[in-house]
Order: sequence, then structure tokens, then C-alpha cells
Amino acid sequence: MLNENQWSQLLQGFIEEGRDLIKQAEEYLLLLDDTPHDEEAINGLFRAMHTLKGSAGLFSLTPITHFTHHLESLLMEVRDGLRTLSPAAISVMLRCLDEIASMVELIDVSNGTLDVDDAHQAQLLAALAEHGGQVPAVGASAEPAAESGAPREGNWHISLRFHADLLRNGFDLASFVRYLSRLGEIRFLEVIDDALPELAELDPESCHLGLEIDLQTQASKAEIEEVFEFILDFCTLRILPPDSALSDYLALIQALPETDERVGQILVASGLLTEHELAESLSAQAHVADGAPKQALGELLVESGRVAPQVVDAALAKQQSSRERKASESSQIRVAANKLDELINLVGELVISAAGAQLHAQAQGNAICIESTQVVNQHVEQIREAALKLRMIEIGDTFNRFHRVVRDVSQKLGKDIHLDIHGADTELDKSVIDKLADPLTHLVRNAIDHGIEPAEERAAAGKPAQGNLRLNAYHESGMIVIEISDDGHGLNTERIREKAIARGVIEEQSNLDEHAIHMLIFAAGFSTADAVSDLSGRGVGMDVVRSAIDALRGSVEIDSTRGVGCTFRIRLPLTLAIIDGFLVNLGEEFFVVPLDMVTECLELDDVQLAGCKYGYLNLRGKPLPCIDLGAHFELPASNSKRRNIVVVNFGRQQAGLVVDNLHGELQTVIKPLGLLFQHLQGISGSTILGSGQIALILDIASLFRQLQQNVDSNPGELRSTKPHQDSLGS
Amino acid sequence: MNPSILAHESPQGAVQHLSFRVRQARYALPIELVREIIEYGQITTVPMMPGFIHGVINLRGNVVPVLDLAARFGFERTEAGNRTCIVIIELNLDDAQQNIGLVVDAVDAVLDIEPGDVEQAPAFGAGIRTDFIAGMARDERGFTIVLDVRRVLSLDDILQLALAQQAG
Repeated sequence: MLNENQWSQLLQGFIEEGRDLIKQAEEYLLLLDDTPHDEEAINGLFRAMHTLKGSAGLFSLTPITHFTHHLESLLMEVRDGLRTLSPAAISVMLRCLDEIASMVELIDVSNGTLDVDDAHQAQLLAALAEHGGQVPAVGASAEPAAESGAPREGNWHISLRFHADLLRNGFDLASFVRYLSRLGEIRFLEVIDDALPELAELDPESCHLGLEIDLQTQASKAEIEEVFEFILDFCTLRILPPDSALSDYLALIQALPETDERVGQILVASGLLTEHELAESLSAQAHVADGAPKQALGELLVESGRVAPQVVDAALAKQQSSRERKASESSQIRVAANKLDELINLVGELVISAAGAQLHAQAQGNAICIESTQVVNQHVEQIREAALKLRMIEIGDTFNRFHRVVRDVSQKLGKDIHLDIHGADTELDKSVIDKLADPLTHLVRNAIDHGIEPAEERAAAGKPAQGNLRLNAYHESGMIVIEISDDGHGLNTERIREKAIARGVIEEQSNLDEHAIHMLIFAAGFSTADAVSDLSGRGVGMDVVRSAIDALRGSVEIDSTRGVGCTFRIRLPLTLAIIDGFLVNLGEEFFVVPLDMVTECLELDDVQLAGCKYGYLNLRGKPLPCIDLGAHFELPASNSKRRNIVVVNFGRQQAGLVVDNLHGELQTVIKPLGLLFQHLQGISGSTILGSGQIALILDIASLFRQLQQNVDSNPGELRSTKPHQDSLGS
Repeated sequence: MNPSILAHESPQGAVQHLSFRVRQARYALPIELVREIIEYGQITTVPMMPGFIHGVINLRGNVVPVLDLAARFGFERTEAGNRTCIVIIELNLDDAQQNIGLVVDAVDAVLDIEPGDVEQAPAFGAGIRTDFIAGMARDERGFTIVLDVRRVLSLDDILQLALAQQAG
């Protein structure tokens, strides 16, 4: 027996599997929405539901088994061609999937119980029954019959022996036969009930039956096998191609559990063998040499002259490659995220201590020692990169979720919108992806709600009636860029400006360029939608988007052209665990500036700033606002004679940070500072240097924002406000 | 040490406390909170924080914030001396385990404090904010102030102070 702990671990496994299956099912459903007759999608959907039902049954989660059963039976009918899925039915099924998903989330892992909202489920099931689909007007069997004259057709012989467990696993024999009939015409069918026990001993839940079927079809063997894909584990399936050699039938007769005569009679009855052939072969059977090696099926086929050797080779190769693909799929390992985090943490420690060792070796001046620490460092670097790659996942899964969002939201608003996804295989850190889902949803909803116009308006503007929403992701200089673009009417610069003045976000006389005005929509409590819809327009969205992206050390940009469309471009670091930094110091303290923000370094001429905390310099004819970091952070005044300026670039702002010494680039592990420092502006984290000393990582974005607030609230504090406002204030 | 001896030494019901000195007064903390005691040294200043936060230290690869108890109580900021120590305690703040270092002037001893020996804090006169005091433990040497660590390290309080500091 399993102990409680193992049980809840298994249950946890089921919950994770369930989430995956539901996600898969949703993708298939959405695919069916576009192409209603995609057999692969129907099968995939059915398979997902079936697996879910089966696994839930293992854990006695009756509500899930029960609910999923309804979906499964409906899908079975769809698969058999008895129904088609209407868009309304797909909507109901999506809601059913949501219900299943919420049931899966509601499972109490500790005791395996599940509370459900019966009334809601009953409602959903009623809706499902109502919208379930229509029986197509034309019978499915009509099609193959029309082609029955095709020359390649022949009678396949299919011999099935079911295992006793079949019915207990929720399969219905009739449905398979029905499905089989879609492939061709069933010419002959005999139920084998020889294994049926006496009535008194009969277990009604066990299956004792077998089937012998002759099927006339153009389908290949693989296609016939596919029909029985779900029950392959629960039955013994033998398929003989049309016009098989006598010996093949003979082999079949011998392989079947029933007496040779019984099977032989069936074959004769089906017209595959003549009575004469049967009698002859049965008598010949005795003369077959016992020691004769069994020939492989392929060889047999070639020998009998019906299949050319290269065809067999090709088929074998195909089989081989599909086997290999299966192997590579199953070679993935599921690892708990915290184990991965632990590994990456340890690798981070290793990076730090290896750097420390190198530092000591250099201090010792022992050439051999230095060399070996360098080798160690190279390996550590490789390990670090490999470890970080473990966390990288493709963004495609996150993007695909938006098919559903776009479908739901556009239906609600009565707009026809097509979602276009590019760069789904772009990889980034899982922790980044997790935090990205919400801001992306906001932006997508906004684009649908506010960006893309209703169909009439689009027609008037000479655009196609179907709106286009595009999600794109790509790598660019060590960052990932995610674009959300729509072909709607773009941002209304004038209205944003008016609104910003009305809300007191900007002064009436302030003269901002178009880009700066667009960025105002990220200000807190800013919404230009006249009507508050339940989708967006409450003005809480965009500043949430901004802060979520800031928290990821990213930036967001807007490209909007009136009447043509709008693109939000989000730039994010690939990972949150490691940062490429530029090390500087202020007196005793070390600071790390994120390297991608550093544009250049200058030597500071003392006269220029004259010891002021803030000021500006002439950088190639442009005023460059400068901050004396030491003074800004109220650190003890430095006595360094030669000071330097690090010019940083953030978005379209540029500024100089006055520091003491430059120590160059370093790649380092970010250590969060913890709750005590969570509201600290200008510093985002810390890192440990090779020497063991802690260096603080500067957060340029929040530093700029804080300075901006200071400029606004207390301009007198700054020596000269004008250049600051030009550069920092935009 | 043999645990049975320990159990024998501490009388029934008594809770072990670590006692230490901040300025002239004696304070104590339940020993189950204390992870270790380290020498004062190599602290990285974190700018724009209230004076009682000295900064952060590197504790075997973990970045741990360090608070000056004296400054938190309203005294002058501690100038490190020979006996100045950092007591590392582990607290559950906002559902996350967090290590915090407390700067104290000297560590005294481990006391067994009987619940019966703990008096309520006087309304005033203890020298520190009354809500920081969990109780006053009496022994032959006088009173030891048992701290209410959650109050002393109240995140809300500290954040308010930090925000005030940044705004100023």
C-alpha cells in the first residue's frame, strides 16, 4: 500500500498532468474553431479527455470522471461523424474545460477530496446537450460506398479478441465498429462468443467477446490500426491485408485461441477462403517442417510478390524514425522548479567563490595557480550557462493562451479579430514568463477593446473587416523583445494630452513630443476610454503593466501611428538570476550598473560640477544631466582625486553618474535584498564580489523616477532644473 | 552537549533566552529565534535607509540586513567596540523566512526564564518604547527586558521610516 505522502505526491502528479491535458484540449478546441473538420484535432481532443477521465478514475475523483465522461461521449460522436461541432458548441466546451480546470485546482491534495458546484455543472451539461452539435444530413457511410469501384480496394480481415477489462475501462465495442465503418464498408462481421462462460458465472462487467470483421476499404493498415488506438492495450488485434496468402490465414487460424475449425469456418463463411483451400491447408499443416525458421512479415510479403522491397524498406525506416521521435519525447524529465532554483543558486555561489579563488591566486602571483583557477573559471562559466538554459522555456505556450483570450474578448465585443503569432520558439527564463502573463493579457485586451475598431468603422477607414492582432517575440542584443501590435486606430495623442492635463498629470503649457505623450498612458489612474467596460478602461491597467515590467528590469515602448495601428514593444532581460554589470565604487562601497544601460565612461573634470550634487555637462554639444551618486546616497564624501562619469541610457533618457573608480565588467548573480529593502528606490538588489564584499545593484529606472519626483516637488534643490527636465523628465 | 543534561539543567516550564546588553540595559530574546552570533565587521551600507539599518552583510553567501538595536530604541548609532556582536535571528516576516542581524553591545548569557518570573512592562521608565517589551524577567541581578521581536522588527514601521528617509 502507498503511504499518505506517496499518495499525495501521485495526486500532485495527476494535478499537473491534468493542467497540461486541459491546456492541450483547449488548444485543440481552438484549432477546431478554425478548421472544424480537423481529424487530428478531434482525435487529440478526445485523447486528452479520455486520459484525463482515466487518470481521474484512478484517484476516485468521481466528479471529474463523471463530468469528463459527457465531453468524451460527445467527442466520440463527433469523431464518428455523427455530430459536428458548431462555434456555439465550442464555446460551451471551452466553458466545460474551464470547469474541469477549476475542479482540478480544487482537489485537496492532502486527502484527495473534491468539492464541486453541482448546479453550475448541471447547467453546463445542459448547455452542452443543447449545443452538442447536429447530426450531419449526409450519412457518413455514403462517401466510401460511392467510391467502392476503386480498383485498389480489397477485403481486409480484422480479427479482434478483447480483454476482460475492456468494458471496465469505459470502452464501448459498438463505437469502434461504427468508427471503422467510416473507413470503408464492413462486408462481414461475426461475433465470437465462444469464451462466454455459463450464465451463472458470467461477470457482466467483463468482456468475453471477439470480432472477426471483413472490411472493404482503401485505407492503409496503419489507418485501420488507428481506429483501435485507444484499446490496443485491451485487445489482441490482427489485421490481414486483402488477398493475403493462404499461409497467412493459416497462421491466423493457429494464433487465435478458438479451435482451428471454428476460425476456419468463419473465414470460409466470409468468403476469404474456400472450403477446399481450408481443408487442404489444414491437412498440409501437419507436413510443415517444425524446424523451419519463422519468416518476418516483411519478408513474407516480399516473397509473395505483392510488395516491392523498397516499399518495405521505406515503411521500416518510417517506423524507425517515429520510434526515435517517441524516444526523444519521453526523454524529457519533469523537475520541480525549486530543485532547479536550488541548483542555480549553488551555481551562483560557485561563480562567486571561483572569482574569489582567482583573485587570491592573482594576489599570490603564482603562475601555475593563476592558470588553473582560470581553467576552473572557464568551466564554471560553462556550467553557469548550461544551468541557466535549464530554466529557459519557449514563450509559445504563453502566446497560445491568448488564442482563448482573443476569442472570448472579441466575441464579447462583437469584433472579428485574427491573432497572429510569431517567434513562439523564442526562449526566456521561466520566472520572467510567469510574471509576464498578466501585463501581456492587459495589453492584448486593451488592443482588442480600445485599439481595434468595430467592423463598420474599419470598413469606413478602408481596412479589412477582420482586425489583426500580432504577437511577436525575438532576441535582440541579450534582451528579449516582445511586441503586441494591432492594426486599429492607434493612440489618440490629442485626447491623451487633454486627459493628462485634466487629471493634473502634466501642466497645460508643457510641450511634450508625441512619444512622451503616448508614454503618459502608463501614469497611474489614467484611462482615456469614455465608457468603462468590464474588460478594460478602469485606468488601473497600464500603470500595472508598467510596474510589472519595471519589476522585471524591463522597459516598454509605444509606436503608434494614428489610423494605422499601435505597437507596444517590451524589452526584458533574458533572466532574473544573472546580470551583466559594470562595477564602480564610491569610497568603500561598490555598486553595479546594469551593463546594457551603460553607453560610455568619461573622466570628470573637477571644475565642471564644482562639487554639486546635481548638475549638467556638455556632452558633444548636448547637456548631460549628472548625479553625484555618493552625495545622492549620502555616503561619506570621497577623497578620490580622479573621478569618473558613467553615462547611462534608459529608454530615451540619458544621464551621467558620478563615481570614484571604474572596475570594469562583471557577470554576477543577483541576490535579492529582502523585504526590509523592498521600497528602496534606486537599488534593485545586491551581489557578492569575489572578495566576499557585497555590491549593490543600481536600478536606473527607479533612480530616474525618484529624481524626477524630486525635480517636480523641489526644483530648488537642484542647481539647474532646465537641463534635468529636458533629459530626465521625458 | 548531551541533551539530557541540558534538559536536567533547565527547570520544567522554563524557556531559554539569550541575554545581551545594549548600552547599559540588559535585554533577552527567546533562544529559538537565534541562529548564530558573529563578530561585527564588513558591513555594506545601504543608502537612503533609516539610521538604525547599518546595511547588509555577507553571511556565507546570503545577504543579510543588519539592524542597530540601540539606534532602533532611539539611542545614538552604535560605534563598534571590542565586544560588539551581531546576533543573527530567523524570523517569519510576511510568510517568508528572513534572517536579520541585530547589532548589540555585548552578549551575556543564556538564561532560563520561568513564565512565573516574567512581569508586565511598566507603563514608562524602561527606556524604550513599551510596545517593544514582551515582559520583564526578574532574577537575582534585577530585571531583564524580554523583547517583542515582531514589534521591534515590524516591517510596516521600518518601511514608513525608510520612505520618510527617502522623501527627505
